[in-house]
Amino acid sequence: MKIKYFINSLFISLFLSGCDPLVTTFDEVEDAVMYQSNIIKEYPAKESISVMTWNIRFGVARLDFALDACGDRVIISKDEVITSLEGIAKKINDLNVDVVLMQEVDVQSKRSSYVDQVQWLLNKTGMNYGAYASKWKSQIILADGIGRVDAGNLILSKWKLEEPKRHQLPLRGDQDGLTQLFYLRRNVVTAKVDMPGTPFFAVNAHLTAFATDDTKQKHISGFKNILDDIVLSGYSFVAGGDLNAIPPNATKSNFCFEDQCSLGDYDPNDDKKGGCDFTEEITWLNDLYGNYEPAITLEQYRINELKHYTHSPGGKLDLDRKLDYLWTNTSWSNGQTHQTATTLSDHIPITADWVVE
Amino acid sequence: MRKACLFFIFSFISAQWSAESAYLIENNRKEVGFFTPFKMRINNGSEIGIHKFLLMPSVSFKQEIPMYNTWKMARKFRIEYPTPGLKWIQSPLGKEMGEPNMFSLISSQFEIPHMLSFYAQMIGTKGTVKSGQLSLRAGAGIALNGKNLSDDATIDLPIIYPRLSVYYNDFIIESGGQYFRQFTDRLYYLIDYDMYFMPGGVGRYAFEQQTLLVWQKSNKLHLSFGYKLIVGEYPFGGQAHLLPTINLKFGW
Repeated sequence: MKIKYFINSLFISLFLSGCDPLVTTFDEVEDAVMYQSNIIKEYPAKESISVMTWNIRFGVARLDFALDACGDRVIISKDEVITSLEGIAKKINDLNVDVVLMQEVDVQSKRSSYVDQVQWLLNKTGMNYGAYASKWKSQIILADGIGRVDAGNLILSKWKLEEPKRHQLPLRGDQDGLTQLFYLRRNVVTAKVDMPGTPFFAVNAHLTAFATDDTKQKHISGFKNILDDIVLSGYSFVAGGDLNAIPPNATKSNFCFEDQCSLGDYDPNDDKKGGCDFTEEITWLNDLYGNYEPAITLEQYRINELKHYTHSPGGKLDLDRKLDYLWTNTSWSNGQTHQTATTLSDHIPITADWVVE
Repeated sequence: MRKACLFFIFSFISAQWSAESAYLIENNRKEVGFFTPFKMRINNGSEIGIHKFLLMPSVSFKQEIPMYNTWKMARKFRIEYPTPGLKWIQSPLGKEMGEPNMFSLISSQFEIPHMLSFYAQMIGTKGTVKSGQLSLRAGAGIALNGKNLSDDATIDLPIIYPRLSVYYNDFIIESGGQYFRQFTDRLYYLIDYDMYFMPGGVGRYAFEQQTLLVWQKSNKLHLSFGYKLIVGEYPFGGQAHLLPTINLKFGW
């Protein structure tokens, strides 16, 4: 009888596990996935906390990836991914940051040779805990040989993370249904950092890059609403991410000629091209700048714009725009854009010290 | 073109569908299924099977050998040339990388070399279809020139991964069994399993269990449908899948 029960249970389990969806969709708000380092280190509470935001380009550094640059590769070897992650881990350890808001982290993607980058980074840095939220999760992407993908946003912390949540942002409104089904599901991930005596929230966002409609505006608004709710609940926050938007006082707003892979790819008379022309979006961050404190103020940015650029596409090493930000409802000091890390990703890490109040 | 791509996938899925007993097809009879190979008896007493998906040509020979106790025995040899099919699946719509290259299952950054695989298998069958027929099989396959194929160029999907693994690992061990029984005039059922061992591969095993209900309308037409449960290891780890299966087979 027990054997029959065991066999029946085994088959039912296999049936259920066999029903994993081809493409994973998400609730409006759901729990983020928690990780922890193999070895937990003890950290006391601090009065000033070092916070970093970094889009790590799924650990492929400046290699010629085909889909976000002009490269001819989609699958990057494990050795190349590990080499890139070693550079990222070294930077995090050298700067001794306490909380990292990371975007474009792969946990089970063929393109990055299935390296679980969350666990790898936890084990190789001083960080103890991670809260991960997928933005792209599918057993197969039927294009360009991309194959299986699970990529998303990550909060890393030296202190324990509680209440990890994944907040779904609106899907792109300018795609057909089939493309939208297999496309990115952008999100904001939040978690309460349980620093002894002063818990606070960490908020990490990666907003749409290529939408040609008002999806990005909705994402910025959704991100700000989450920040507003945290403040209303009586907590402070450190927030940031790759907002794929330029500051309102940026002197250049159209990069479409610079971003074209070969001369003639871009024609200004064509329909609006997403991801390179920010002209109509130039004011979209005003609400954030008006209500919260940035790590790099608009005045600092105006004085030396070049010094605060955080991005250049693909293998182009000349940084030419700022897309990455840190925000808080209290105050920052020592905000820095680490342009020495230009070879480690197509985005540059920003750090700042958050003054605990 | 999307249908052609699905056809390619289902060709793989269904390649093992045909009731694989030690019995050969009857003299002068020919069979072909939507997804299964064309089969016929040839003059020297062997059965030949030709996979009709021309981009991945495959030919098999099955021969009877002397009985072992009460088991009817046969041996089967198969040769497969996957190169054109794998090249096609890199760009089924003829698009360039990033256009996007829709329905591509292998990145076009990889070179697909000319490769061949050879399989040898022993099959033993006991019993009759009316009272229940049990068949067991075991064999191995080797590939030539697979060393020039990148280990990163795998298709990490159920059914397909183990069947192409020989080109990445150079070697595969296969075993399987099936129970086929008639339970009314026109209805049969088939319970089948296949095991693949891929020594040296990143994914090292795959187990497939299939149950089919077969409706034999006449000697010329039969329809089967059921499910296939696959539990396997892939480069990303282990996973189980449950897939529906269907086939229409014609004989004359």
